[in-house]
Parts: sequence; structure tokens; C-alpha cells
Amino acid sequence: MYQNAPISQRVQEIRAMYRAKKPRIDLARYKLVTEFYMANPQLPGVLKRSRNLRNLFEKMPTPVRDHELIVGHLGEEFRASAIYPEHSFQWVLDELDVFPTRGVDPYDLNPEDKEYILKTGDFWIKNATCAAIDEVFPEEYYRDLLGNGVLNFTAKNNSGSPIGHYCGNYWTVVDRGLGSVLEEIRAKKAALLEKGLQGDEGQTLQFYRAEELVVEGIILYTKRYAAECLRQAETCKSEQRKAELLDMADRLNRVIDKPCQSYHDALQACFLYQLGLLMDSQPHGISYGRLDQYVGKYAEADIASGVLTREQAQELTDMFILKVAEINKLWSEGATRTGPGYTSGQLITLGGVDREGNDATNVATYMIMQSSARLKLHNPPLALRLHEGTPAELWEAGIETTKQVGGVPCFEWDKVAMEALMRRGIPLEDARNYCLIGCVEPCVCGCDFANSGGDGNNAYTILPAALWCAINNGINPFSFGPQKNTKATGPQCGYLYEMKSMDEVLAAYKAQMDFFTKWQVSMVNCYEYLYAMMNPLPLLSATMTGCIESGKDVMWGGAKYNGAGNSSIGHGTVADSLNIIDQVCFRDKIATTRELYDALMNNWEGYEDLHQYILGRCSHFGNNDPEADKYLKFVADTYSEGITRGISPRGCHWTAGCWPVTLNVVMGMFCDATPDGRKSGAPLSDGISPVQGMDKNGPFATINSILKFDQANYANGTLCNMKFHPTALQGEEGDKKLRAVMETYFRGGGMELQINVVSAKMLREAQERPKDYEDLVVRIAGFSAYFVEVYKEAQDDLIRRTEMSV
Amino acid sequence: MTTGRLYDIQGFSVQDGPGIRTTAFLKGCPLRCPWCHSPESQAFARQLSWMSMRCLGREACRDRCVNACPKGAIEEGPLKTDVATGEQVRTIHVKRDLCDNCGACADKCYAEALTMCGRDYTSEELVSRLLQDKNFFDTSGGGVTISGGEPLSQADFTVEVLRGLKEAGIHTALDTTGFAPWEALERTMPWVDLYLYDLKHMDSAKHKATVGVPNEIIHENARKLSEHGKALQIRIPVIPRFNEDEENIRATAEFCVELGDAVQVVQLLPYHNMGVMKYLRISDLKPLEAVPPSDEKMEQLKNLMASYGLKVTIH
Repeated sequence: MYQNAPISQRVQEIRAMYRAKKPRIDLARYKLVTEFYMANPQLPGVLKRSRNLRNLFEKMPTPVRDHELIVGHLGEEFRASAIYPEHSFQWVLDELDVFPTRGVDPYDLNPEDKEYILKTGDFWIKNATCAAIDEVFPEEYYRDLLGNGVLNFTAKNNSGSPIGHYCGNYWTVVDRGLGSVLEEIRAKKAALLEKGLQGDEGQTLQFYRAEELVVEGIILYTKRYAAECLRQAETCKSEQRKAELLDMADRLNRVIDKPCQSYHDALQACFLYQLGLLMDSQPHGISYGRLDQYVGKYAEADIASGVLTREQAQELTDMFILKVAEINKLWSEGATRTGPGYTSGQLITLGGVDREGNDATNVATYMIMQSSARLKLHNPPLALRLHEGTPAELWEAGIETTKQVGGVPCFEWDKVAMEALMRRGIPLEDARNYCLIGCVEPCVCGCDFANSGGDGNNAYTILPAALWCAINNGINPFSFGPQKNTKATGPQCGYLYEMKSMDEVLAAYKAQMDFFTKWQVSMVNCYEYLYAMMNPLPLLSATMTGCIESGKDVMWGGAKYNGAGNSSIGHGTVADSLNIIDQVCFRDKIATTRELYDALMNNWEGYEDLHQYILGRCSHFGNNDPEADKYLKFVADTYSEGITRGISPRGCHWTAGCWPVTLNVVMGMFCDATPDGRKSGAPLSDGISPVQGMDKNGPFATINSILKFDQANYANGTLCNMKFHPTALQGEEGDKKLRAVMETYFRGGGMELQINVVSAKMLREAQERPKDYEDLVVRIAGFSAYFVEVYKEAQDDLIRRTEMSV
Repeated sequence: MTTGRLYDIQGFSVQDGPGIRTTAFLKGCPLRCPWCHSPESQAFARQLSWMSMRCLGREACRDRCVNACPKGAIEEGPLKTDVATGEQVRTIHVKRDLCDNCGACADKCYAEALTMCGRDYTSEELVSRLLQDKNFFDTSGGGVTISGGEPLSQADFTVEVLRGLKEAGIHTALDTTGFAPWEALERTMPWVDLYLYDLKHMDSAKHKATVGVPNEIIHENARKLSEHGKALQIRIPVIPRFNEDEENIRATAEFCVELGDAVQVVQLLPYHNMGVMKYLRISDLKPLEAVPPSDEKMEQLKNLMASYGLKVTIH
């Protein structure tokens, strides 16, 4: 039976420090970026970004803490959280007074730092990319579509996040070393000048100049850490620590620049490269990819040759994972509601197959998972790739880990994810090399600029709002005030009470979806146009396969493959709503379309009988009833066909996804009552699951209902949460049974599963006595969190999810 | 085609035979075990079930149930705290002496706090419902368990259902008290892969005094099944002050040994009191509660039985 090995004293102390430390906003990055931007208004996009990053590599503090064997910090302090004012800023000023006390993920902030932000903040109001975004969005959107609720572009301050959701090529960093990349860049640049710049090669030259600056920069940055280790070694009293520092200095003088020689090298190189990416851009789904594949062969060699014992290798892995956990994504309170619990979206993918299709499990696969399990860490999130040849031992390790650390790892089925990637036009060998990005988005590891998260805040299409437009003549009635909204923002297809058949309802819904997916694509394409000019990603482009070869930044389409992903929210709510309209108004004629419409407009008040009848007596999606489930496929396909029609600035088709973070809760607050019996303000359905609590026939029926749409059409990922009562899965036998449930789901066409083994009773107790449940980790959406660090509405949504038990 | 009466169908059963199973629970039983954790399984007739937890409160549904009852059997009940809102709501109470289980109130209770326990299926309907879960049986090596109540009390129906499942290639288990005419059991034999077979007490007089029927026929049927080479999983509910004494456990073990290779495993099922609340759903009477046997006690009994060379599990 799979078991956790004991944790070393040193690691226990680091973990205790990590759990005890309230994250603090650290201004090191903010100050350097502010000074640089103020001093260099003349620099255009790629030059500004590369020199800014170079400046950071030269000047960011390089602290080395006494406990560390792997170094790297985003500021001066332990668990430092950086600000990225060049992306968006108004929210920082708005929340300046409440950071330490805000309801979701509070952060400490020193008074003198606050003062500095106040003094310099005005500059960023006009100079953040956010300000420019508001200028490039078409006035027609502001005039005709504002307030539609399906898309979330607002009148001002759009784009709280930069382009994110990608994964660099770590093999280049670990196996080849960036010194060799630097030589290639210099050779390309020299050849270009030699030949003379033709056509648009002025841009190509700027790209190579930028690459040279940042690659030199990160090598320099690494050596600055080496110098700090040497400095500390000189005065170090402890012989043991001194030896460690000298060893670290030796390592830091080599890695990043040169190929790695050991497991320790590989972990350090991966961490610093990732840190470089995070220094350039906010941790917005910047994922590690297939970490076990980069570092596994070094671990195996070191253990085989006796350089490391298995225990020492495991301790290093613990330290690495704790380093990753230090990073937080500091965001506005509103945006943090979509991903609460101090997460950073640095998803690590494990397992799966190699490019030839053989099982790729190695010792690092197990060690990384073991670190998460025994340290009970929600962050970083892990994804475990499964296939028909996954070893039984790995199945067991994955299941035992998720039982201990809710939702870590999430499970992805290779066959369906790969099929989805191949439908994007990716050949089989490359599809086999996929990883997950951000929450659950498949992308080819190291050569695919997936941009699966759109522009962050607006990466979502809210389907129930489109349903409202469909049955209300293009008007989403939701408003923040006492009066309903009366402005039409979608196609005017009439009102529910004018519709004579289900076909008319469906046609109206499809018209909305075609319209809004077109606008979604248009808006994000505008946003990307601006980002490509203002915020290229030079350090990412240095390793991403295709960029150096083509002389193009990832933002200009330089990567070997390109993606552009969207996510939808509320499949279950809309599928069930259509089912109820059909059942109640057309099939069983329990109520007229007028009565149902009025009931919705009145949030069911005065229509209690109808409301209770719908909830208790109607058949709902999620119970394996073909009549009720048939609309799921319609809803899933209507959205995916609409969004997939779009073409991104980098020439690829857009892809459909369905993962809600906790936006199903947040967006539910802004959505009036829906026909499925949902009241105004209540959460929308979660992921691709049925409406919370309406799947009453047990897990078999739930799963068989969900499987009624083709998930391989969702190349941007699907997310399915399942919650099991602990007694249902006790012991070894329980593990086997859970595996069987998972395999049934996957073989039936399921792509992803994430599992919480926790009872509603336990969660309620944790709400009441948070102290007793400090380490209870639960999967919330595309990420896990400490339950007690999640805000109440999201906690309640988790409790409401149907609990599968015997 | 015959019709049978069920009180529940549960997917994801993990303790009623190999793999993951769907269990169909048939209603009605000739035994009256005082520890029964599914009291709604005992009567053959449909019964009104009342679950306070689901009640929306009399105000919310404006007394639809009270008004529907032709016997005036529904009266004001206690207050309860609504889980969703935290508010106090007034529930109802069913006067069981007036209620004739007509179901008029349940028909109006959309929240399904009042439901009629017992639903009739044709054998064909039930088989097709159970086959919906086939993909789960295939990956887990599971199947269907027909349980009760006592399924052999609806023998024609049970045989038809088992046969339908077997013909569709499903692994079948029959969970029985063994208290049925041999002819009934015999007819199930071609269609059953595994019998989950209860032994409650080896002393017939004590058996009769506690559960209402003697045990000779049960033992006789077990012997015959074993003679026919059918696989048996013996289940012993371990009930404090009834059958947990060493003498009875030894006697039970000896009987299992006598049954020979037919016995694949002996399952000791410790008494639990989680069924107690269920009594209040169908009556005003709460059964006597006992203290569940300790883990040490269960382990001790397991070792005792294992000393006879039997494979024994707890749960």
C-alpha cells in the first residue's frame, strides 16, 4: 500500500515557516519597473520589455536564506508577492487600504511601501497596458454590448491580467543551457546584419536584440545568486552550511548558462527559469509543464550512482515544491474571488507517455507527488496524465495523494486530451508530449504558445446570460439596481412567451451564441494586437520551439504551434434550463411559457408551486435520463462550434473549454433566476457537472449524463469535479473502486477528473472550527486551496456539490 | 413478464459483492430483525415515508400535504432549522394511526419530504434500468446484486430479472436470508454467480425468538446450494447480546466449514445504529439501540473464525 515516507526536520521547519507566514506585498520589482518606465518613455514595446527585464535581472535582490538549497525570490522577503503595474494598476490604488484586511487572500503592506505606491501611482494610471486596452476596444462594443453579461468586458480597466497561460521549453534550459541559445541568437543577429535587413526584418532584428539582452540577463542573475552564496560562505560559522553554500555557488555559476549535471542542478535551473518568466510577467497560469520528464533522468542517474540517496532526492524535491509554493498571484479582490486561497497557477504535469507512446513514469513522477502529499500543499497544483499503460503503482500513488490533499493531482486521460490536440492539427508525436496549462488546458509542452487563458478576466463565455438574452429578446435583465435592465445587447429573437415551440427557443439561443462568440473573439483579438506591440515575452521566446528559428516573439506567432483558448461557464445550468422549458412548457404543459417567463422575472416569487414542482418533480440533467440530458450536447456543441470558428492573430483557430475557476459562483451573483429552478444570485453549475444537488441518482448516472457530449471538441480542456464521501473509498479496496470509476469515465470519453474525498459534514465543521482544519486541502476548481482560506460563498458551493457515497 | 416491488436502487455499491455494483433492493421480508437498518424493506405494502430534512416548511408550500390528506392525518410538527437559509421553519407530523398510506400527500409534496416507499417495475423495466450502469461493471469487474428485503419472497420476479441480467452478460449476486422454499432458490441457480447468504444465529429457538422465524430451512438451503457447487459469501451481522458469544460464533464457523469449498469468504458485519433514524421515517417508533461492537471485539471474532481455516473479512 502506498505510503508517505517521514519528512526531514529541515523540511518540516520550512513548511512550518511557509504555513505561518502571511504573504506580504514586496515592492522590489515595483520600484525597479516604475523607475525604468519613468526614465524610458522613448522605448517601444519589445525594447522596453527586454530592457526592463534585463534591468530586473541586474538589480532585483538575490537573498539566500539559511534554510535554502534551492534559491530564487521575487523580492526581498520570504513569500514575497510582486506587483506588475505595467499590466494593470487602478485596482492596486483602489485596494491600497484594504490589502491587509480584505476578505479574500489578504496581504501585508508596509506603511512606507504604501506611501511609495501612492506617490508613483498616477504614472501607472496612464501607462499601464490596461489604459491602452480601453482605447483599442471598438466603440461599438461600448455602445451596443455593454452589460450583456455573456462577455465580461467592462467600460474601463479591462484586462486585469497580461497574456498568460503558457509553458516554456525547460528541456532547452536543463539539457542544453541558455549559453548555447545565446550563441545561436548572436549568430542569427550577425547573419541578419550581414545580409542586410529586408522587408519587415527591422522587427526581426529588434527581436534578436531583445533575446540577447534577456538571455544574458538571466545568466547574470543566476551568477548574482552564486556571488551571494560565496559572500555568505565567507562569514558562515557552521561548517555544514558553509559547504552547502559553496556547493550552491558552484551550481549557480553553471546552471542556466550550461547544461545541468545533476538532479539538484536540474531543479535549481527549472526554478530560476520559471522565476525569470515570473519576473517578466504576472503568474497568470505560467505552468511548469512536464517537470518529471525534465528532471527524472537526472534523479535516476544520481540515485543509481550514489550521488544522492532516495531520501536526499526526496528532500530536495520537497524543498523545490516548497519554493514553488512560495509564489502567490497577487490580484484584485474581485479577480481573486475566481481563484482564492493564495494560488499561482504554476501547474506541474506528471506521468503520461513519451513521444513514442511508451509510459513515461520515472522516479521524479513519484517524488514530486509524494512531496505534495506529505507536505499537504495545495500549491503548486499537479496534473497526472493517465493512459492504458499507466503502472498500477502510479494509479495508487495518485489516488492516495488526492485522498490526502484534495484534488492534488487532477487526473487527465491521454487519449481524449491527445485527440483534442490532434483536432487542432497537431501531429500524434507532438500531441503525446502535451502538458496541462493553468487549470486543465492541454497544450504541447515547450513548443505551443497556447494562450489558453485569453486575457485573464475575460477568458470566459457565460452561457446562462446568453440563455437570458435568448428568451428575453436580446436583453439580459440583470442589473445592479432595483430596476431590471431593458437594453438589448444580443440579437432580438423575441420573448419566451412568444415562442411556440422548443425549436424556436433553441434557434434563439444559437443566435445569441453565434453573436457573442464572434464578439468574444473580436475583443480578445484586439487585446492581443495591443499586447503583441506592447508586451512581447522575450524570455519565453528564448526557449519556445520555433521562435529563435523564425525570428519572432511568441506574441508574434513565432512558436511552432499556436492556440487561443476560451472557457465557458454554466453548461449544466443552460442544459437543464432548456430541458425544463421543454418539459414544463411544451411536453408536459405544466405551465405556459408566459407563466414560466413571469416566474423567472419575479425570481419565482408568487410562483412557489411551479418552482417546487420544477425542483422536485421534473426530470433534471445529470440522472442519465435521455430526455433531460439531450440538451447537454446541444449546449456544448453550440458554444464550441461558435468559438472554434474564430481565428486568432497568430493564425490558429480558437478552442473551446469548460473550466470555471470559481466564476460559476461569482457570475451566479450577476445572473437572474434561470428555468432550471435556480434562484437569482445562486451559483451557476460547476465545470461540466450537472446543477449542484440535482443529480440524484448516484455517480453512475451523473457520469453517464456528463459523457453525452464529445469532449475531444474541447481542446482548451474540460473540468469535472467529483466529491466522494470518505467512507465510500476506505482502504485499498476503496482505491481500486475509485480507479474503476475513473477508468469508466475516461474510457467513455471523459478528459479530466478532479476528486475530493471529504464529507459535507466535515466541511461544515471546518467552517465552524477553522483552527482544527488548517491543513485541509480541497479542490475548488482548476486548483486546490486550503479550505479555510477560501471565502464563504465558494466554500458553500463546494458543500452543495453532490456527494457520491455508498 | 411479472412485476416486482422495490424500495431502492443504489449505484456504486462496494460491499455487496465483487467490483462496483448496482444493488436493487426488493421490498418485503418474512423476517423481523430488530437491528434491521432498512426498516422500509420489511413490509410488502407501499408505505408513506417522511424525511424532515427535505421539508421546506408548511409556509413555503402552503400546506399542500395537509390539505391533500383525506384522513386528516397530517398535523403540526416540530420546528427545524433550514440548512440553506438558517431560518426556523415549521414542519409536519404524520399521525400514523390515521394514515392509510394512500399517498395523496406525497403526490403533493414536490420537495419529496413525503414519498411513497415502494415502486413497482416490470422485470423488463428493471433489467433495462440496471443495464444502464454496465460500463461501470465492465471496468471494475462488478455487476448487479439483487437484495431486499427478501428477494425470494418475490421469486418469479427475481428469477426473471436475474435471468435477464445473466443473458446480458452481467455478473449477478443474490443477497438472501435463505428463508424461502428450496424450489425458489433452485430456480435462481442458473442465473446467479454468487449468493450473499446471511447466518444470524445457529440456535433455531433463539433465531425464532429474535427474528421471528426458525433457521432450519435456512441451513438446509445453504447445504443444498453448496452441494450444487454454488459460490457462497456468508454474511454474519454481529449483534451485541444476540449472536456475538463464542459458542455461537464457533457453531457458525463449524457450519461454514461443513459447507466446504462453496464458502468463498465469511463477512462479519458489525452492528451499527445508522439505521435508527430510518425507523422514524415510516413510524413513530424508534427501535432499541445497542452499542456497536468494538474494533477489538470484531478482530477477536474474525480470528476465532479464521482459526477454522475460513477466509474472514470485517464489513
